Amino acid sequence: MEDSELKAIWQKYDQQLEEAKILNLQSWVVNIQTIELLQKNKSERRLKALINFKISAVVIGIIWAFFLVVLIYFTGSKNIYFTISAGMILLFTLLACVVYISHVVMIRRINFTESVVEAQQKLQMLQSSTINIVRILVLQTPFYSTWFWHPKWVIFHSTSFWLIALPITLFLTILSLWLFKNISINNASKKWFRFLFSGKEYRSITDAKEYLDKIGDFKKGSVKY
Amino acid sequence: MTPGLSQESFLKLIDSHKGIIVKIAATYCPDVVERDDLIQEIIYMLWKNKDKYNAEFKFSTWMYKVALNVAISFYRLSKKQKHIKTTADLPDIITAVHHEDDTAEENYKLLQRQIFSLNELDRALIVLYFEERPYKEIGEIMGITETNVATKVSRIKDKIRLQLQHFKNA
Repeated sequence: MEDSELKAIWQKYDQQLEEAKILNLQSWVVNIQTIELLQKNKSERRLKALINFKISAVVIGIIWAFFLVVLIYFTGSKNIYFTISAGMILLFTLLACVVYISHVVMIRRINFTESVVEAQQKLQMLQSSTINIVRILVLQTPFYSTWFWHPKWVIFHSTSFWLIALPITLFLTILSLWLFKNISINNASKKWFRFLFSGKEYRSITDAKEYLDKIGDFKKGSVKY
Repeated sequence: MTPGLSQESFLKLIDSHKGIIVKIAATYCPDVVERDDLIQEIIYMLWKNKDKYNAEFKFSTWMYKVALNVAISFYRLSKKQKHIKTTADLPDIITAVHHEDDTAEENYKLLQRQIFSLNELDRALIVLYFEERPYKEIGEIMGITETNVATKVSRIKDKIRLQLQHFKNA
């Protein structure tokens, strides 16, 4: 079959569309402003839902941060470990809020007039952006095991501190650093990764990974046919 | 950049390129009812982004970029919701169209099925090729090099040709 034959088959469709009278675009175009008013557009609605979710997360993060500030202000001076732990949790919470805000900016900047590869890549990266938040938040885990420490435990060589509290904190520190380093879209197929993320989230991340790989191959020209 | 396309000039441009929208929608959305939603969505996104159109470049190039980005996103969401996996799951794309020339219609259905069996990006590429866009413009729309376009188009065509031949022989 020649190229011209393939193109001829394709162009036959023009004629068929005309016959089916489904080219009544003018009426849809005239209704653009109505669509805009009713916010019927699915793409926009999806992105708006994502923005709302991220903004809600920022609001919750700020409330939590405010609560931590109040706690530090009223009780922090009594215990240095509490102050440091709450302070570090506060820091990671604020960092997560900044990342969420950067996601909102990214969503607002999504531009459908960019090349297909570029726009699709950005959309997929957003889909897997939950990963960045999780990476930051795992770093605060060890501080949840240190806020109740007391200077007396160290000074008086408390057995329970050296045998239980400190090893737990060390374990959580190593684990959180390991997770920070390894939580990546490239490890999405690993069992521990699947364990960390819920079903829907996991599917969304693996789907984004699969598509990003496809886009990468497409750009490089390494797709096999 | 020439911002501020008036509604009238926008409507005129859309009207003269309406075939692009319908064909892209049909290529990514086999369901006739949903296709209307997709067409509406494409037009809305074109309207919303009309100020980003740079009149130094072809309107069709800009239009293809927006239409394909919207259609691919729409398709990916539908795929997730409906779990479309194979071409066998697809309804006939042009069942609503009656045409006396059954062979031509059959050929088109076969071709459409082959196109639908391609991934999202290859599908865009071959549609642009069939629409007789130059390789340079296809590269610009897709965001890849002209050489890459030529290699890919040639491979996809070979694949489609082989499968069409196979169907015909069967």
